[in-house]
Amino acid sequence: MIYLDNAATTHPKPESVYAAADTAARGGGNAGRGAHSLSRAASNAVDDARNRVARLFGVSDYRRVVFTLNTTDALNLAIKGALSDGNHVLISSLEHNSVVRPLEAMRKLGVEYERVPTSPSDGVSADDVRKLLRPNTKMLAVTHISNVTGARNPIAELGALCRERSVLFLLDAAQSAGSAAIDVDAMNVDLLAFPAHKGLYGLQGAGGLYIRDGIDLAPQRHGGTGSHSELRAQPDELPDRYESGTMNVPSLASLAAGVEYVARRGVENIGAHETALANRLIDGLTQVRGVTVYGAKQGANRSGVVSLNIENVAPTDAAAILDGSFDIAARAGLHCAPDAHSALGTLESGGTLRLSVGAFNTDSDIDACLTAIDAIASGAI
Amino acid sequence: MTDLSRYARQSVFNKIGADGQRKLAQSRVAIVGMGALGTVAASELARAGVGFLRLIDRDYVELTNLQRQMLFDEADAADGTPKAIAAAEHLRKINSAIILEPVVSDFNARNAETLTRDVDVVIDGTDNAAARYLINDVCRKLAKPWVYGGALGSVGAVMTFLPDGACFRCLFPDAQSGGESCATVGVLNMLTGVVASLQAADTLKILLNSPSLDRRYRTFDLWNNVFDAIEVAQNPDCPCCNGDYTHLNASAVDVPVSLCGRDAYQVAGRGAVDSDALAQRLRGIGNVKLNAFMLVFEGGGAGFTLFPDGRAIVKNVKSADAALSVYAEYIGG
Repeated sequence: MIYLDNAATTHPKPESVYAAADTAARGGGNAGRGAHSLSRAASNAVDDARNRVARLFGVSDYRRVVFTLNTTDALNLAIKGALSDGNHVLISSLEHNSVVRPLEAMRKLGVEYERVPTSPSDGVSADDVRKLLRPNTKMLAVTHISNVTGARNPIAELGALCRERSVLFLLDAAQSAGSAAIDVDAMNVDLLAFPAHKGLYGLQGAGGLYIRDGIDLAPQRHGGTGSHSELRAQPDELPDRYESGTMNVPSLASLAAGVEYVARRGVENIGAHETALANRLIDGLTQVRGVTVYGAKQGANRSGVVSLNIENVAPTDAAAILDGSFDIAARAGLHCAPDAHSALGTLESGGTLRLSVGAFNTDSDIDACLTAIDAIASGAI
Repeated sequence: MTDLSRYARQSVFNKIGADGQRKLAQSRVAIVGMGALGTVAASELARAGVGFLRLIDRDYVELTNLQRQMLFDEADAADGTPKAIAAAEHLRKINSAIILEPVVSDFNARNAETLTRDVDVVIDGTDNAAARYLINDVCRKLAKPWVYGGALGSVGAVMTFLPDGACFRCLFPDAQSGGESCATVGVLNMLTGVVASLQAADTLKILLNSPSLDRRYRTFDLWNNVFDAIEVAQNPDCPCCNGDYTHLNASAVDVPVSLCGRDAYQVAGRGAVDSDALAQRLRGIGNVKLNAFMLVFEGGGAGFTLFPDGRAIVKNVKSADAALSVYAEYIGG
């Protein structure tokens, strides 16, 4: 199996990740509940994950990293916890449904949101955002890297603009955490949502949100935290304020191991590796008759996500053929980001075939995939 | 006391009588599939006064159903009414004294026990082997009688399975994957009527403990005038008879995957399909394109792409269940 669906979830993971999850799963103990050795081991695993994640993103107070069920859960907390009646929000037109649907739900509560016209290949420009800012604009929510087009948004410029205009900057790092450098202070990121199971190479079942000091989000879940049990109200302290209920300790333990791997190999190195593979892929695809490549052009600034279509082959059919006849895992469709497909002009035709590389893909994976696509394109009916 | 006078022409029949008629009013039957067999059996049993009928089907009425699915009309097809609902609505007008429970759902390993636990007999109105093995498993496990019926072209078969004796898996140890279906080779409505009526008659006999129940495997070819019946012996090595309910306990249910696009679902299928042979059959009923990687079919309001490993992407369907229906109808179970 050649795995080219790393944008959905990375595979394989470093061996240390499986080992950490296995240890945590066998270890027993509920993090933050009890003082016996098993509970403390679980707590320590979660603490270790929090600390490593904080360091990776340049977060000075690691308690400001709270763990959630996944990136979507983190985005829901950021959006629903920060916004209220009368607020205006700007988003790019490359956003995932995990940003758009919470905002759509918030419309009922008087929150307005607006899409900034966005280049599918180059991302949203700070100048275009600036033109649409209003006095009541409370938040800019953008993806760091498009999960459809591979385009990268100019985070540092957007962050600087938000800081200048006192707008909350929510960054969706689902596709970038672990493969693109993120420094929350240097980039003026106020809220950073990230997954455990993609570029940070942890297992599925956890995500997180960094919340800048001074920002108070309304908790979206209330309940036991293992702390301040005498209080009826949700505690104010982070991370407890946002971490009610038992944590996914095996996933978080694996996240610690994944971040350790990523930090050792180097975020820039992983990103450069993925970019090189994507460029090799695009290079080959442009030589296949009947193939159209969408989104970000070849170059140093694109990510490892490549969207394409093969003439006369529906993207879902192409993915099924790659899987069934060539043992290559890829994803087809809208990738939960219909606006991005509107921008590409691929909404009506059922989206695109998406190939996404990860830290463990090689040149020969790309070459085998190109051979397969060439065969499909030339055998197309 | 329920008024049973409406059943006078039936209860006066000496094998039924007033006691038998009262017993029917207390009886409960589940019919899996509201197609050609299910609609006929449901219609007969509703009119006969069986007190509770559960009508299970995941599909929607289409114009091509009307040739043989006796409870539906053109308005149902135009509206695309779920078959279970349409059947219940029509039957309510025929007999408002019984309870009709339409269930718009796939019959699968996750709901099979719930849907059969509280009935006396299960009738097979399905069109595929996988569903029948599942009915067989669940009925054996719950010690329920069930009545198998099959019809294709002009050839039909019926067999009743009681909690003891041979089961469906003794008769057919492995799935017969001829790949033929009513969509590709057709079916006579006289045949489905005969099969379903035999199933309904067997059901009545089971409910009334009649000694006249025929437990043989009965087959017939209405066109070539052949009628036959054979005894089926229980297979001592039959997994199902030995309590191994493979189909009911399947850890993976074939849940179609929504493809994050527009009304398309991927159905996993059950292994490799002979694309050449299928293409041959499908050419009679629609447009077929075939190459080394896929078979693309469009016709009869259905569309799918089938891949050599048996998976298919079914297009223009509103639900996962509808995708399974298209797969069963055109590709086979």
